[in-house]
Amino acid sequence: MTWYSETGPLTRLTGKLGGAAGDVMRVRRAWHWDGPRPHTWPERGAVVPAPASDLGWARQEPVRTIRLLIQRGLLLPFTEVMAHPKVEGREWVRELDRPVIFAANHSSHADTSLILHALTDRARERTVVAAAADYWFKRPLLGNIVSLFLNTFPFSRTGGAQAQLHSSSNLLKSGWNLVLFPEGSRSVDGRMGEFKPGVGHLANETGAPVVPLHIRGSYQIMPRGQKLPLPGPVRVRIGKPMTPAPKEGSREFTARVERAVRTLAAEPIQPDIQGTWVERWRAGKPRELRYEAD
Amino acid sequence: MPRPGAVIEVDRNTPPVLFHFGEGVRLEKLPLGSRVVYPPDPFEPIAHPERAIKRALAKPIDDDPLKSLLRRGMKLTIAFDDLSLPLPPMAAPDVRQLVMEEVIDMAAEAGVEDLHLIAALGLHRRMTEDEIRHIVGERIFTTFWPDRLYQHDGEDPDNNVYIGKTAEGEDVTLHKRAAESDLVIYVNLTLVPMDGGHKSMATGLATYRSIRHHHNVKTLLASRSYMNPPDSALHHSCIRQGQLIEDTVRVFHIETTVNNHAFPAIANFMQKRETDWTAQDQAMFLAMKQMTDIAPPAFKRNIFHAMRAPYGLTSVQAGQVDAVHDKTLEAVRNQLTVHVEGQTDIVTIGVPYLGPYNVNAPMNPILVMCMGIGYLFNFYRNKPVLREGGVLILTHPCRYEFDAVQHPSYIDYYDEVLADTTDVVEIEKKYEKRFAEDPWFRQLYRKSHAYHGAHPFYAHYWAAHAIQHAGDIIIVGGEREVVHRLGFKCATTLEDAFEMAEQTVGRYPSVTHLRMPPIMLCDVE
Repeated sequence: MTWYSETGPLTRLTGKLGGAAGDVMRVRRAWHWDGPRPHTWPERGAVVPAPASDLGWARQEPVRTIRLLIQRGLLLPFTEVMAHPKVEGREWVRELDRPVIFAANHSSHADTSLILHALTDRARERTVVAAAADYWFKRPLLGNIVSLFLNTFPFSRTGGAQAQLHSSSNLLKSGWNLVLFPEGSRSVDGRMGEFKPGVGHLANETGAPVVPLHIRGSYQIMPRGQKLPLPGPVRVRIGKPMTPAPKEGSREFTARVERAVRTLAAEPIQPDIQGTWVERWRAGKPRELRYEAD
Repeated sequence: MPRPGAVIEVDRNTPPVLFHFGEGVRLEKLPLGSRVVYPPDPFEPIAHPERAIKRALAKPIDDDPLKSLLRRGMKLTIAFDDLSLPLPPMAAPDVRQLVMEEVIDMAAEAGVEDLHLIAALGLHRRMTEDEIRHIVGERIFTTFWPDRLYQHDGEDPDNNVYIGKTAEGEDVTLHKRAAESDLVIYVNLTLVPMDGGHKSMATGLATYRSIRHHHNVKTLLASRSYMNPPDSALHHSCIRQGQLIEDTVRVFHIETTVNNHAFPAIANFMQKRETDWTAQDQAMFLAMKQMTDIAPPAFKRNIFHAMRAPYGLTSVQAGQVDAVHDKTLEAVRNQLTVHVEGQTDIVTIGVPYLGPYNVNAPMNPILVMCMGIGYLFNFYRNKPVLREGGVLILTHPCRYEFDAVQHPSYIDYYDEVLADTTDVVEIEKKYEKRFAEDPWFRQLYRKSHAYHGAHPFYAHYWAAHAIQHAGDIIIVGGEREVVHRLGFKCATTLEDAFEMAEQTVGRYPSVTHLRMPPIMLCDVE
């Protein structure tokens, strides 16, 4: 049998390709690819959304090592040059012995970099950032690139709050610190908005302490609507970790966190929120080396 | 046991000798029969500094254990020396950091709430945040800066208080916070015998009003030398002021000493005697020489000022100031002393890139004078290595080069005062008060990083004794106009300088080269 005989391989391949093309043409005609949807067809039914990806790949090796190199080589030096941030209260995040929620005011895209810059290497390496799903993850490529740089995960602002809180609490329970901007969006005019109660829910559910942070000066660097950052001075003030009091509701605790962040904005040092020197000194004590018994 | 210092006579087989030359180095052949004085090798540092510090605080000399002095509700102040020592700056952790961390741990345990830390600058420049962080360490800095850790300001009318007059009529002022404290703990690092003791508080936390009583021409000319406190009028004045301070406020002194391991491994050849140089040291010398010969001064400066000294703690003592300081001086002298027999007609010294007042800045001509003719000449006991009327030869490029941020008053001093006269007595009478009270210099001292308006005068007075003692002073390799402005002679090469010196001290003079740094203290018999 020759290769061009009626039952030969070339003939069979041609037949297959022809069949596939015919299928495509058939579907094209049937679903009116080149025309509007027929008005006689009924409305589309409600679609059950696929479960949102929490971008687990971004928290696994070798992506973590790549991110470490990107952050140390590019992001942190760039942040240092642009803002030369003054960080107060770093001792509260130096020796974290459990995952925490960083709750900060939000007035600029630069806030995330500034917070990561303010953290110690060890804390930064174990920190994920809640990023608005409807903004950053609208275009998957952008979302994935941002996640590679900053270790973000999609956080819904519009709906499915319970599911999102569930994924956030899972992250906290699995040992990741979480950066949250409880205002939900960047400030329009640089002033701090009201906090949404998600941070209180999370703290109550997981028992994770909330570290209040206040960033001053980032609005001048890159306000809403500005594409490129401008250099300017920034101060990041870190308060002492807060935990909900017994029987304190999520909304009450959220209000307390909001008050703490607002207090941190004030000029003189705030011992109530930032801790007395004795508390800060003890917080900064180097962790003693522990050796496992054989 | 490390080798003691040595005096080596130059013969035909002696290798050329290293001379520091600002931000550079030179090898020079000295005449046959010349003497080269080498410092002792560095002492072995204490293996566990933290334990030694704990012991010193628990068993102070002539004082109660520190723990028993700390109580809840008290006002506690810790004062510490600024970046003018040690030189070069110490590789982290600085011993002041180790001491302060122990003290703060104790204060936290005792429940002390009102604790402040003050950098005792005197009339030196304010340090940058990074410089303070280097001294105190990250943990202290992040906990206390800026509201509880700050720098003394000798021109702040609201935060300095007048304490009184000594029996000799010397005014005494003190930082207000220290004066009002229940206890002041002074954390000192003594590199040379001039530092520490009563001088710490009497200059570090004082104002111009009290410092002018010992930083003046008369006192400094009567200090033979100020590296030997018993023979130093400067120290006698500081002791009188310090005693008045001790009567006013309870002070607990913690003094530390370090060995003289001044250069890191990369510059090991500077630490060693030339006869000890290995092939690696020779290669490092050659590499550094080539680099410093061709690189621009700013580049060289960055390289040199980035060096950190691997000093090791050799002693720590705490308690009553006089008893503590006696121990400190003993430890310093043990490390630094070299016995030298007799004086010579000519003394040569290589002036290095760094002195106490130009950390992270170029060494301007007035500071070259202060360092070479002031400090290095005065490292002696009993009498100077140079005979009276002899010739002092220094090597330094001595450029017209000033740091406008750190040394603004030095620029005016050079351009205005030295253009008029080099006579220190006349300068003191005619110009000092005006510079000290100049509002612009005062503003720069308080708010920028500038030395006080009176500081260039002190730098010049520091050299007054040597200028009076020497018959001639020659700077080899300096810019001619600059050297002449300082009132000295200029030579292109060391051979030329010896030739010029013969006109003052005669043919076939005796020559001694002081191979510093690392520093040493010549005990001249």
